[in-house]
Amino acid sequence: MSSLRNAIPRRTHKERAQPQERKKFGLLEKHKDYVLRARAFHQKEDTLRRLREKAASRNPDEFYFKMVNTRMVDGIHRPKSEANEYTPEELMLMKTQDIGYVLQKLQSEKKKIERLNSALHTLDHQPENKHVFYAEDREEAKEIQSKQFEKRDSLASVKVPGRIKKKQLHLTENWKQGKKGFKTWKSTTRIWPCKENCRNLGESVNLVKMKLFNRQLDLCINGVQNASVRLYSSSTLI
Amino acid sequence: MKGGSRVVVQPHRHDGVFVAKGKEDALCTKNMVPGEAVYGEKRVSVQNEDGSKVEYRVWNPFRSKLAAAILGGVDNIWIAPGTRVLYLGAASGTTVSHVSDIVGPTGVVYAVEFSHRSGRDLVNMAKKRTNVIPIIEDARHPARYRMLVGMVDVIFSDVAQPDQARILALNASYFLKNGGHFVISIKANCIDSTVPAEAVFAQEVKKLQAEQFKPSEQVTLEPFERDHACVVGGYRMPKKQKV
Repeated sequence: MSSLRNAIPRRTHKERAQPQERKKFGLLEKHKDYVLRARAFHQKEDTLRRLREKAASRNPDEFYFKMVNTRMVDGIHRPKSEANEYTPEELMLMKTQDIGYVLQKLQSEKKKIERLNSALHTLDHQPENKHVFYAEDREEAKEIQSKQFEKRDSLASVKVPGRIKKKQLHLTENWKQGKKGFKTWKSTTRIWPCKENCRNLGESVNLVKMKLFNRQLDLCINGVQNASVRLYSSSTLI
Repeated sequence: MKGGSRVVVQPHRHDGVFVAKGKEDALCTKNMVPGEAVYGEKRVSVQNEDGSKVEYRVWNPFRSKLAAAILGGVDNIWIAPGTRVLYLGAASGTTVSHVSDIVGPTGVVYAVEFSHRSGRDLVNMAKKRTNVIPIIEDARHPARYRMLVGMVDVIFSDVAQPDQARILALNASYFLKNGGHFVISIKANCIDSTVPAEAVFAQEVKKLQAEQFKPSEQVTLEPFERDHACVVGGYRMPKKQKV
């Protein structure tokens, strides 16, 4: 029966809003707001009553641990501070132990880094350092230079795969045709030991480097003070 | 190095130095005292075809300037099997042990170190290696150990002192044969920290040239040490004949 009654749509109950002339008092309190407020008030009332009863029925001869463990600070009960339980010596010891632990961890991490580093020889990379050769005169300088290039050349020809060389060959020939009148070009080809090998990338790259190198060498020899000629072959050149 | 069977050891360009090719390539030397590590370095054991085992010790370039120079592509270290080497500034003997590996039983290494503390480690290391002669003396006074050291082919100097060129010259005048060679490691900060490293190296090379040394090459030890260089050259080299 009641379910049937529930099925009929009923007019919803509407609470009135704050009248316009009373707007200055803020929102009008609704019933559910009042319920919350009243419940909170009664809870506090109950607590106060219970505490009052407890105080009234308290046995003055009874022992409570809080009597020992707390003390009054500015009229408020405060538990005894736990920090005061350690003596300065104990505190000092704890601090040194902490520092010791940190240092030990630091040391072990350092060791780990060193162990990993020791396996890091980077043998397959071109070194990024600077290699300087000292030569007495121009002939010796040339000798050292050609020796170095032979060495680099042998390395380069091993590393570059054939399919890249082929593509580069095209480029080199174009470049040769385009810049035949280039001045330093002649000198480089003259020094170059094996002309018929000048057909792959290794050489084409090396020729450019050689050109740079020769220019550098000329500069070095012109600006030399004593008999010694310093040849630089840093990573920027080679 | 893990996975010992997969590691292949190949000889390096320099005699007596090897390259272990495993997961990571590493520089190494043939261990004179198999089964013993000197400073906790890794060892690689390789089995030959005939079943005999050869042990190699990995050479850490971060701890050894000579190894750093080799990896830096120095042309010639002049230290090879059978050479006699005077090593100034041996410290605890980490590099000395590798040099002793390189020169082998036919060579000899005179290791000079001033500090008693690191000298102790050096002596302990030398106990197991018959070709190392430890000398706990100041390298500035070679006269004090002239009775112990014979003529040598190579002097390696790693003393990191402002007057290291002079120390090297003094020792060379006592012990280095004519036409012998030197390898000197220069730490720029130890000589003059106010000028750029390059200038310090040039200045040291000048000093060496004044002392009858003929430097042939110089490499910086870049990824391994900062502002360090290794200079290699000859001593009282014979004059070249004019053609």
